[in-house]
Amino acid sequence: MSNNAKKILLVEDEELIVNLLQRKLEAEGYEVFVARDGIEGLEKMKKTKPDLVLLDIIMPRMGGFEVMEAMKKDKGLRDIPVIVISNSGQPVELDRARQLGARDWLIKTEFDPKEVLAKVKKQIG
Amino acid sequence: MKGNLQKEKTDEKLPEVTPREAYLALLNILEDVEEARLRAVEERNKTLAIITNFTDGLLFFDKENKLSLINPVAEKYLSVKGMEVIGKSLSDLVEFPRLKPIVGLLKKTTRIFRKEIKLEENLILEITTASVKRGEEELGILVVLHDITREKLIEKMKTDFVSLAAHQLRTPLSAIKWTLRMLLDGDLGKITKEQREFLEKTYNSNERMIGLINDLLNVTRIEEGRYLYKLTPVSFEDVVKEVIENYKDQIKKKKIKFKFIGFSRKVPKIKLDVEKIKLAISNFLDNAIRYTPERGKVIVSLQATDKEIRFSVEDSGIGVPKDQQNRLFTKFFRAANAIRTETEGSGLGLFISKNIIEAHGGKVGFKSEEGKGSTFYFTIPYKAKKRMKE
Repeated sequence: MSNNAKKILLVEDEELIVNLLQRKLEAEGYEVFVARDGIEGLEKMKKTKPDLVLLDIIMPRMGGFEVMEAMKKDKGLRDIPVIVISNSGQPVELDRARQLGARDWLIKTEFDPKEVLAKVKKQIG
Repeated sequence: MKGNLQKEKTDEKLPEVTPREAYLALLNILEDVEEARLRAVEERNKTLAIITNFTDGLLFFDKENKLSLINPVAEKYLSVKGMEVIGKSLSDLVEFPRLKPIVGLLKKTTRIFRKEIKLEENLILEITTASVKRGEEELGILVVLHDITREKLIEKMKTDFVSLAAHQLRTPLSAIKWTLRMLLDGDLGKITKEQREFLEKTYNSNERMIGLINDLLNVTRIEEGRYLYKLTPVSFEDVVKEVIENYKDQIKKKKIKFKFIGFSRKVPKIKLDVEKIKLAISNFLDNAIRYTPERGKVIVSLQATDKEIRFSVEDSGIGVPKDQQNRLFTKFFRAANAIRTETEGSGLGLFISKNIIEAHGGKVGFKSEEGKGSTFYFTIPYKAKKRMKE
């Protein structure tokens, strides 16, 4: 992997989704870090300074909305673009994510890894 | 005839009776009368006992709209004592807080109805009224209060269960979808033609399952009463065109002669929950294409009046059998000929669409003849007076 590879942090608890996305993104030349819940996600965010975060909403210990709230309060994390990947697409949730600064949102049952990749590319090339 | 008979009777010579015989006869008659009276009292007591011990609450309003009867169950539900309320008119009864909603219902013009009223957190009543008649004469109105708290609770539990199950099912279904997609896209290595065919079929089955889960979730949201979301002003014609675009491939595949007729006049933007309206339009269009044989025709047309817009889809499909037409918009219902044509289908599409349209203050309807085709339509007013909670 080249040194100037863009870094993506994937915060997601569903193992199969992690495996698939990691494979897809790495095949495109991204460097992928994985966190299994919100707390681990924030820690890794501080350590790795990713170019983009792919964030699940419902996770153990700390969910995606709380992660975004914490990011907003942290100067170092505030400007990292977030794409939410969720199982649900309730308009209420969509609105909340947008208010918290999420750049994009996708519902897992309606999208597939190829489309995730397209959205990632749109954000960070 | 009658007159003749009477005349004959008076002309007839009466038999001679002794005073003793007459006395005994009179006693007999009196005994009979007494027996009849006792029977009547007995009957009345029996009727009263039935009313008093009836498991539903009962109220009876006479012709002058005065309360003339209330049984103990109704007293309990409404927190009143018979003595306080009997003989009072509707306008007097408004003073009793729990009677107020019922009085409100009775004051309306359509007085025969069935309604649900929530009196407190753990007491939901179904109120049914019936007009009581003796022959042609109207005696008054009987109001029956039936406790449906438990039914409502079970209904809510059922809705919650479906909602939870559907949410839980989505997680593994999306994992399956993603895996199959990546296999099909060759992301996980080369696959043979045969493998591809099987995987494609599996992928499509999984998509159908996702669709079904989404339908179920939509239904639970309708039942919970939280359905419409953000109403934004949009061009209805643009929305329709966008939906049609999604069906281009299917239309081509079935070689369907498709026609779209837009508005013939200028139509202002309408406030809609765009995603929901798209779903309703999709359901209508999907049915038309699905149940129309190859090379058939489907026409989508838009019309507008000063008050509302009208969307309709005409097809040359299988149609709806006459005896099943009135059930078409009910949950889980599928017409027999539709099941024969297409075994897959949840029977939820039209139910969902009807709810979406009605939530926008509009109406749905159709005309259909089995074997010839159907025209399904809906209307949406520019300004809805009464809309479902957003």
